[in-house]
Amino acid sequence: MERTLCYLDGAMGTMLQKAGLETGRAPEMLNLTDPEQIVRVHQAYLEAGAQIVYANTFGANREKLAREGLETEQTVRAGVDCARKAVEAFCAAHPDAPRPRVALDIGPIGQLLEPYGTLPFEQAYEIFREVIVAGNQADLIVFETMTDLYEVKAGVLAAKENSDKPIFVTMTFEPNHRTFTGCSVDAMCAVLEGLGVDAIGVNCSLGPVELYPIVQEMSRLTALPLIVKANAGLPDPETGAYSITPEAFAQEMAKFTELGACYLGGCCGTAPEFIRELVQQTRDKQPAQREITRRTVVCTPTETVVVDGVRVIGERINPTGKKRFQQALRDGDLDYILAQAVEQADAGAHILDVNVGLPGIDEAQTMIKVVKAIQSVTDLPLQIDSSNVDALEAGLRVVNGKAIVNSVNGEPEVLARVLPIVKKYGAAVIGLAMDQNGIPATAEERFTIAQRILQAALEHGIPKEDVFIDCLTLTVSAEQDKAVETLKAMQMVRDRLGLHCTLGVSNISFGLPNRTLITTSFLTLAMAHGLDLPIVNPNTAAIMDTIRAFNVLYNRDRNAEVYIAACTQDTAAAATTQAPVTEEKTTLPRAVEKGLKDEARRLTVSLLASGKPELEIVNELLIPALDVVGGRFERGEIFLPQLINSAGAAQEAFEIIRTEMAKKGSGTVSKGTVIVATVKGDIHDIGKNIVKTIVENYGYRVIDLGRDVPIETVVQTAIREDVHLIGLSALMTTTLANMDETIKALRASGHPCKIWVGGAVLTPEYAQKMGADFYARDARESVDICREVLG
Amino acid sequence: MNLRLETFNRKEVLQYLRWAGTEIPPEVDGLIDSCMEETLRVSQPRFTYRILPIDRQAKTPELVFIGQDVPLMLSDCERVVLMAATLGNGLELAIRRAQVRDMARAVVLDCCGSAAIEAVCDAAEREILAAVGQSVYLTDRFSPGYGDLPISLQDSFLRLVDAQKQIGLTVTTTHILTPRKSVTAIIGLANQPQNKRFRGCAYCSMFETCAFRKAGKTCGRE
Repeated sequence: MERTLCYLDGAMGTMLQKAGLETGRAPEMLNLTDPEQIVRVHQAYLEAGAQIVYANTFGANREKLAREGLETEQTVRAGVDCARKAVEAFCAAHPDAPRPRVALDIGPIGQLLEPYGTLPFEQAYEIFREVIVAGNQADLIVFETMTDLYEVKAGVLAAKENSDKPIFVTMTFEPNHRTFTGCSVDAMCAVLEGLGVDAIGVNCSLGPVELYPIVQEMSRLTALPLIVKANAGLPDPETGAYSITPEAFAQEMAKFTELGACYLGGCCGTAPEFIRELVQQTRDKQPAQREITRRTVVCTPTETVVVDGVRVIGERINPTGKKRFQQALRDGDLDYILAQAVEQADAGAHILDVNVGLPGIDEAQTMIKVVKAIQSVTDLPLQIDSSNVDALEAGLRVVNGKAIVNSVNGEPEVLARVLPIVKKYGAAVIGLAMDQNGIPATAEERFTIAQRILQAALEHGIPKEDVFIDCLTLTVSAEQDKAVETLKAMQMVRDRLGLHCTLGVSNISFGLPNRTLITTSFLTLAMAHGLDLPIVNPNTAAIMDTIRAFNVLYNRDRNAEVYIAACTQDTAAAATTQAPVTEEKTTLPRAVEKGLKDEARRLTVSLLASGKPELEIVNELLIPALDVVGGRFERGEIFLPQLINSAGAAQEAFEIIRTEMAKKGSGTVSKGTVIVATVKGDIHDIGKNIVKTIVENYGYRVIDLGRDVPIETVVQTAIREDVHLIGLSALMTTTLANMDETIKALRASGHPCKIWVGGAVLTPEYAQKMGADFYARDARESVDICREVLG
Repeated sequence: MNLRLETFNRKEVLQYLRWAGTEIPPEVDGLIDSCMEETLRVSQPRFTYRILPIDRQAKTPELVFIGQDVPLMLSDCERVVLMAATLGNGLELAIRRAQVRDMARAVVLDCCGSAAIEAVCDAAEREILAAVGQSVYLTDRFSPGYGDLPISLQDSFLRLVDAQKQIGLTVTTTHILTPRKSVTAIIGLANQPQNKRFRGCAYCSMFETCAFRKAGKTCGRE
């Protein structure tokens, strides 16, 4: 750990504004129009004692510069040149002083990344790459004022892959110890330590007093050198003036040395006198030695899972042996997969395993799509599960947070191939206690392999706390003497290696009656022998009950709070689901009309069991019921939530029918395929999603291209999938132009198709003017259009 | 600045849901309550503002108010407030998550978000009024995209209030605010009480997306 202080500079923007720069203009412009002014600011900071100056490149990226008509490479180069010139001048004037360093300063791109904004991760990487390549004359790379850890990850990867310079990252936290995007201090430390940056810390938003507790938290969570670049207090909203003097600033900043911080400087509102004062007041100080708590952590920016007890890994996102899941993967039906993710999250999973391995699909590309989609609906950490190295890397690259890799084994060739990727992306890794010779019979042999895996991981620079061992279990009905070996092996791994154990538990009971009893009994034993990360189906109540009971018995659930809360909730849920049954005999159409999902599901199962053909259920029961509801909605007898509730109930019924048909391989219910898309530039997609839900429930297959859909994607998909009915939505007057362009492109392609459009700003007249075939006022009218075109 | 939102207008939620006075079944009633609770729980309301002087032609050196509406609104004013407010990302995740398993919940949450951001703007206005001192009066709130003020003004508006750094608010290349449940507004500061000048649909923040307006009706809100 570094034990000497290093001084950074203070604000650039504040200095330029004092010198007359209009707010709202890009300060980077001055690198080209008035470089002397920039050099002077750097020089002032160097004379004040700064040992690292940040080049005037904070906003010098493609997105921000375009508005000013500036070009990235030129502007970045000029900015770094200014800083280098200042350093040369300083060295000439002070030949005995150590040479100060120049940092390439990189701020946020200025647009939100997907899914909150429209900027794809890969494009963020490209934008950063341009800046990094252009700034290759700097001595180090600094990312600062960052609030989105995903954006930081894109930047750090771009830096690592296009430069060999040290990388510093500071993020901007609010008094609640979170950034605006919800990123915690904990997650920042876990992810950036994993990605191998050289120093981390905080800058901006607050003064040194307010930042103290945040840095205090950070100082316990990471062994990396710490950076603090605080504002000069807080600004006055009317005058913009900051609240504290250079003396007070320096006095407060000096306290950070007690937390072990070694890079100190200023942000908004600070000036050279602040740095001069800081240097004077801390000249004799040394950063204190820090006590770091080493823990096992996986996380997303907003959700940190510390493995200090049993943490549940949900196993459901996996096509193995599941026809319906396989079909969803082949059809690119992400909704089905997302439903599996959200269901497990709701059931209490802490981590989600993601496996998309299926012969005949591009596993790496699918992994990227699925990981991104899951991240858009849940903030649980992910476990990337594949035997394909490319798929592992593809998944790890786009993961937002610190993930787990499932898995490596003791085979040297596998270790050599996978561990470098685990290290590069800062993931944790599961090591299977087996090798090229299969699963060893005895606990001792499995332990030996575990030892070997740990050794290899350590050699690759993966810390011990990020290595988990899966001691593997076989079906107890086939090899009854082996279950005990698994338990023994786990105990050895826990006690002798001090590693966490993970295990897929469900297999144990295969082939036996009352599987749940065997599975839960084994689970209890396994947890007592060191299993912290069971890979299970969290939707099975008995599994989660077993874990909660274990946590009570092992004194981890204090006062049995979690256990009691879960029991209370179960009783309440049971009471509400029972209520409607007593009322009257419900039929499937009634359940749909009333929007009763559980009833719809139950009744569909029993109808199928009684031998009623799937298509009859759809055509004779579901669709007429939806028509009744649609009619009521049109007449204003019910309003939107009721219409959608009915659609939701029908959807439950459809899901059961689809699963049944996938199982039997007896074709589909599809009456034809349509494409829906929210046009390029527009991100208001809830209306389109309602249309999709309702149209699907009439038995049409819907290819949902999502929102902000490029024109060519619509055209290409229509041609490739041979779809002849296309629905487009736009909600802003500004994006109607893109709807118009999309229609033109579809027509120009010569692909025969009908187009229907909808969205709040549209009128039937405008739809006609754009050349659309139909205008739909709402989801209900969209169904009529599908019927007219596809039957 | 962070803001604590205690509640928001339930009637507004119903209006956004196009409720036309029919009987609300108990499960929908319960859904709305539960969505309002979740909206308050997952939102991180924040606002920021900046006060700029304006001259007689209602111009600021920093921002040109294109059109007739804003200069008219500011005719008694010597200063103007540029305000930006957001609910943050939390509600968006909740809406997206709800869309996976419960679309009705997603729609209600979306409408709750629209009502909640209005409540945030009201609260922010109260704080601004308290900060500017006594005998100062506020005009209406007027947003880019209303009336004859182009929505493309969002870009320079956000830069002027430094919205990304202050409250984490950004704009897409098509001038859509992200996070989505966000508002920017221009408010004049006058020395005499101000009439409400702007009523009706063209000046409503729902203008772009209102279902009533599309159906040729109004929500009846003043």
